[in-house]
Amino acid sequence: MAEIKNYTMNFGPQHPAAHGVLRLVLELDGEVVERADPHIGLLHRGTEKLAEHKTFLQSVPYMDRLDYVSMMCNEHAYVMAIEKLAGIDVPLRAQYIRVMFDEITRILNHLLWLGASGIDLGAMTMFFYTFREREDLMDVYEAVSGARMHAAYYRPGGVYRDLPDTMPQYEASKIHNASAIKRMNENRQGSVLDFIEDFCNRFPANVDEYETLLTDNRIWKQRTVGIGVVSPERALALGFTGPMLRGSGVAWDLRKKQPYEVYDRMDFDIPVGVEGDCYDRYLVRVEEMRQSNRIIKQCVDWLRKNPGSVITENHKFAPPKREAIKQNMEELIHHFKLFTEGMHVPTGEVYSAVEHPKGEFGIYLVSDGANKPYRMKIRAPGYPHLASLNEMSRGHMLADVVAIIGTQDIVFGEIDR
Amino acid sequence: MINIEIDGKRIETENGTTVIEAAHKAGISIPHFCYHKKLSIAANCRMCLVQVEKAPKPLPACATPVTEGMKVFTASEQAVKAQKGVMEFLLVNHPLDCPICDQGGECMLQDMSVGYGGGASRYHEEKRTVLSKDIGPLVSAEEMSRCINCTRCVRFGAEIAGQMEMGQAFRGEHAEIMTFVSGTVNSELSGNMIDLCPVGALTSKPFRYKARSWELSRRRSISAHDSLGTSLAVQTKNNHVLRVLPIENEDINECWLSDKDRFAYEGLNSAERLTKPMIKQDGKWQEVEWQVALEYAANGLRHIANGAGAEQIGALATANSTLEELYLLQKLMRGIGSDNVDFRLRQSDFSADDKQQGTPWLGMPIADISRLDSVLIVGSFLRKDHPLLAARIRQAVKKGAQANIIHSVDDDLLMKVANKTIVAPDALVAALSQVAQALDAEKNGKAQTASAGAVAIAKSLSCGGCVAVLLGNFAQQHPQAAQLQALAQQIAALSNGKFGFIGEAANSVGGYLAHATPGTKGLNAASMLATPRKAYVLLNVEAELDTANPQQAIAAMQSADLVIAMSAYKHHATSYADVLLPIAPFTETSGTFVSTEGRVQSFKGAVKPLGEARPAWKVLRVLGNLLKISGFDQDTSEAVRDEALKGVDVAAKLSNTISAIDTNAVSAAGGLQRVSDVPIYATDAVVRRSAPLQATVDAATPQAWLHSEELKKLGVQVGATVKVSQGQGSVSIAAAADDKLPRGVVRVAAGHAATAALGAMFGTITVERA
Amino acid sequence: MEKIAHFFKSFLLIELLKGMAVTGKHLFSHKITVHYPEEKTPQSFRFRGLHAQRRYANGEERCIGCKLCEAVCPALAIKIEVAERSDGSRRTTQYDIDLTKCIFCGFCEESCPVDAIVETRVLEYHGEKRGDLYYTKPMLLAVGEKHEAQIAKDRASDAKYR
Repeated sequence: MAEIKNYTMNFGPQHPAAHGVLRLVLELDGEVVERADPHIGLLHRGTEKLAEHKTFLQSVPYMDRLDYVSMMCNEHAYVMAIEKLAGIDVPLRAQYIRVMFDEITRILNHLLWLGASGIDLGAMTMFFYTFREREDLMDVYEAVSGARMHAAYYRPGGVYRDLPDTMPQYEASKIHNASAIKRMNENRQGSVLDFIEDFCNRFPANVDEYETLLTDNRIWKQRTVGIGVVSPERALALGFTGPMLRGSGVAWDLRKKQPYEVYDRMDFDIPVGVEGDCYDRYLVRVEEMRQSNRIIKQCVDWLRKNPGSVITENHKFAPPKREAIKQNMEELIHHFKLFTEGMHVPTGEVYSAVEHPKGEFGIYLVSDGANKPYRMKIRAPGYPHLASLNEMSRGHMLADVVAIIGTQDIVFGEIDR
Repeated sequence: MINIEIDGKRIETENGTTVIEAAHKAGISIPHFCYHKKLSIAANCRMCLVQVEKAPKPLPACATPVTEGMKVFTASEQAVKAQKGVMEFLLVNHPLDCPICDQGGECMLQDMSVGYGGGASRYHEEKRTVLSKDIGPLVSAEEMSRCINCTRCVRFGAEIAGQMEMGQAFRGEHAEIMTFVSGTVNSELSGNMIDLCPVGALTSKPFRYKARSWELSRRRSISAHDSLGTSLAVQTKNNHVLRVLPIENEDINECWLSDKDRFAYEGLNSAERLTKPMIKQDGKWQEVEWQVALEYAANGLRHIANGAGAEQIGALATANSTLEELYLLQKLMRGIGSDNVDFRLRQSDFSADDKQQGTPWLGMPIADISRLDSVLIVGSFLRKDHPLLAARIRQAVKKGAQANIIHSVDDDLLMKVANKTIVAPDALVAALSQVAQALDAEKNGKAQTASAGAVAIAKSLSCGGCVAVLLGNFAQQHPQAAQLQALAQQIAALSNGKFGFIGEAANSVGGYLAHATPGTKGLNAASMLATPRKAYVLLNVEAELDTANPQQAIAAMQSADLVIAMSAYKHHATSYADVLLPIAPFTETSGTFVSTEGRVQSFKGAVKPLGEARPAWKVLRVLGNLLKISGFDQDTSEAVRDEALKGVDVAAKLSNTISAIDTNAVSAAGGLQRVSDVPIYATDAVVRRSAPLQATVDAATPQAWLHSEELKKLGVQVGATVKVSQGQGSVSIAAAADDKLPRGVVRVAAGHAATAALGAMFGTITVERA
Repeated sequence: MEKIAHFFKSFLLIELLKGMAVTGKHLFSHKITVHYPEEKTPQSFRFRGLHAQRRYANGEERCIGCKLCEAVCPALAIKIEVAERSDGSRRTTQYDIDLTKCIFCGFCEESCPVDAIVETRVLEYHGEKRGDLYYTKPMLLAVGEKHEAQIAKDRASDAKYR
């Protein structure tokens, strides 16, 4: 009888079921995973080092490119770090806008995750449904920032511009006649807030659709139930955060535990899992979308009633209004200095974290009083998650590795940074 | 000592200091515009208002002297409010120019506004405007609306440059800074106003719109244009030198920079730059590869050394070549077997050569000049030849020092001169010996027989304090330079003072240390040209501009069989040279200058050499290799420097002591004598090609200056063209009157193309009506 | 009992049929597909696309070469050289944007004190060879001239928010 040997297999970086540029070296005994060894670094761009050579403002767009499916949440942690260190007061309206977009971003992230995870495990249709909703949210992104993904919308001291009063609309074309265009533009007649509200009203039904397609689906359950089980103790020990931790039954959420911005004024619940398997994490994420939707609705209500400034009036940190720089010397000087030399952040160090769709996303910032950070460290939630891949997938079949990678919601932008 | 407290920090400071000085010393910054540590206190910007305990109103920190137990708060509510208020007023009339202003990014007004001012304006009325002014080719006053009337430029002119060329006219809302007396700013230190101006009102004209401050990379360097060894920051972008700024060095240049050092860089990017090696074949210049040119030069030298003899080869270098270049040049010559090498091109008296004990130098550190009580300056166009040294002496004079002058011209030094003796060049020795005689009499209680002027100088020198005798360029170039030196030594000894030479160029001391002087067998610069050689190696030399006797130099070059010119520029050498080797000026090579105070300062290149130009030390090294001379295998300029200075104790080598020189005044020759200065912007090849410097008043075409009586005698009107001749050559230039000149002299500048056809810098000269 | 219910549920493929019902329902609803390029998705007036250099109505170029955009550009995609024009004004002699470096953050437009450099709605541009996406001043001015009406309209819509 021939001797049976373990063999190693490269899963990615060019594998269709591997996320991003993950190079995963699997040691297999037949189809059973003996060891999973993730290799990282293929998407390393030196963001942390680059930040040391850029002014504080210049690093904002680089934050978008960390976890490139939850752009504004990354920006949020970064600008909050600067605000903490420099003691900048952020207008309440800006805080509401940020919370609203954090939650929009969470839905964006979870929708992408749901669609991609579905495809990974054979549920092709999911992708179409989730991307349909994503499209609406991307339009919101574009309406406020001018970019569908890399928004660069949050600024130290607030957000760049207020929400516009109009929503971009479809234009007549030879494909759709006037009445079709009218129908398509129906929810785009009002302001961005109107559009978001309309979305919020539609969205729970959409989530129901997703659940109809997956939650009870036998194939889906077969692929996820009991796969990648992590006990609460291990989840804590491994440094899990976000849905990965909550899926194991630990009710930890920075929005509740260390409320930032206006989360303490929001009414929402934290879903937790029981088993700590892929299925529970799926349920947690789906419920989070519903909760995010609740938060967005509350923000829309508040924002409608409370117009005002969306960025601090302290021009040592935030550029003045355009009209003012064309008429006033003080404003022109501050504009000039902010865009060339940049703001000077007082000496000190700070850690600021947000409840990112993937977990705790933190920025550790050290300033020596100069116009550039002395050091910036990014705490990416995906990193400890990926690090546990070996533990989570050992003993599972090869196909389950796909489910586990999927459930970890890995994005290499933040892990490799 | 007085104890005060600033922002709760206890500080011990000297009596008489101001609050701002005490604060700065303790590392506490107080915002200010008009205050400058080197200028008098004006207290007119009010930016430095601070709260002082028990004072009802905020006080200006720059004008408030410290008192015992004083408690100062620089950031208290009152102080901050005052500073904010002042800042708001300063910006009320400031134009919205930041985007197009050259100062943007390095502007004190911007920095203070961001640091101490408010973030928003409350002013909506019209802003005042001030008309632009053209104040010369160096400093731009195009945007005087930006001026905040701090009067730093005015005070700089009056106090440091010695000449109040800028002033504040009108009052209140209409007050504005303008030039008065003349329409332009002509000071040789005017560029410092650009540095001093806290806003963008006075900016550099050649630098206008060239670059933003944040785009420039900065390299430390050393001035190549005078002998002080000024610390420079050469600022470059895209491998181009775009600006030169001073680096503060209290021992040398304080925080100033002469216009020559500041604007000479424009000559580096001149169209005349030689960028490819060239050789002359059949009377035509051809660009060739380095290898070809170097082999051509080496073969030519070998051919002459083997045929006519190595002593038929002479090497001349200017004193602004680096130590490394001079060292390798002399090594090359001595390797070939020739002892003919010299860097003292404008010197005419070499009789001190074997009587000199060491390397002639300033005789004291530059910083000590400030502490002098009495100084005798012999034969120096001080302001133009050494602008920063002149400024230092001016400061010393302000503090009570006495300046005494013995010279052949009486240019305004812009300082109080205690005594001066202005005589024709041939009477200079006599004048100096009179001072020595008077000093001797003063000291030994003999009866005074010397002239009244000499006695006055002697009295000043025997004050018992810190005394120095300084010999300027004119004295060093004088045909009786050795005698002047001997007399200076005598005077210094009699007055218990020091004496020294104010070096002519960046490496006037370094040339001696590099042994770029002829040994006992060799010929010095003057004899090399007087008895023409068959071959010449020229380093940085423009024969008709850099030598004591242009006529002789050109004749020697033209009669030579081979002239190898190493030059950064394609200049007049094309008419007499056979090989042109493009070498790098000081910003493009590493090297060492030994300043006149004996300070050995090495610098690195700030940019890459232009085109195919190469550092001269590398060219010389390859020439040495091609000629198979040993010891030419250095890899870096530092290795060359270390070899040149190996075992040399520079400080011990510096000595002006001279022995066995007879001082006997020569009888006056008949006719007019020439007095020649090298104009400030004609001293070296780079400066000569700096367009903005050449557009200044100081770079005007030379004129023949005579006493008006002499003019009358000649029957020439001021401004009329006269024919000035010396030897076979003559030039036609305008006549001008200067009644401060002694009779019997004509002042005609050397080192300028317009007078290059003339002969020696000293001696008889004829002036006729054209 | 639960077991039996579960058995029937799973035996009758209830959850699968429910899922297929969702799909079936969408078979008859309005399609959301956008037929690009005949049809385009809505575009915001804040859209950050291809850059353009603008001119004033009298034909004078707006850019004064202050270099704020060059300074703030996080990707160092902008290169500007400035010189004094014959009329004494400060003008660029070179204004290049390397679109392959650009990250379309919009800071250049934000920093421009004279609204000269803008990001337009144009997203359909391409280069066929290396270097085609290195936009020089004439190219940027040409984009500006072509789309000035739209650019001006968009800036006007956004003016009150900036």
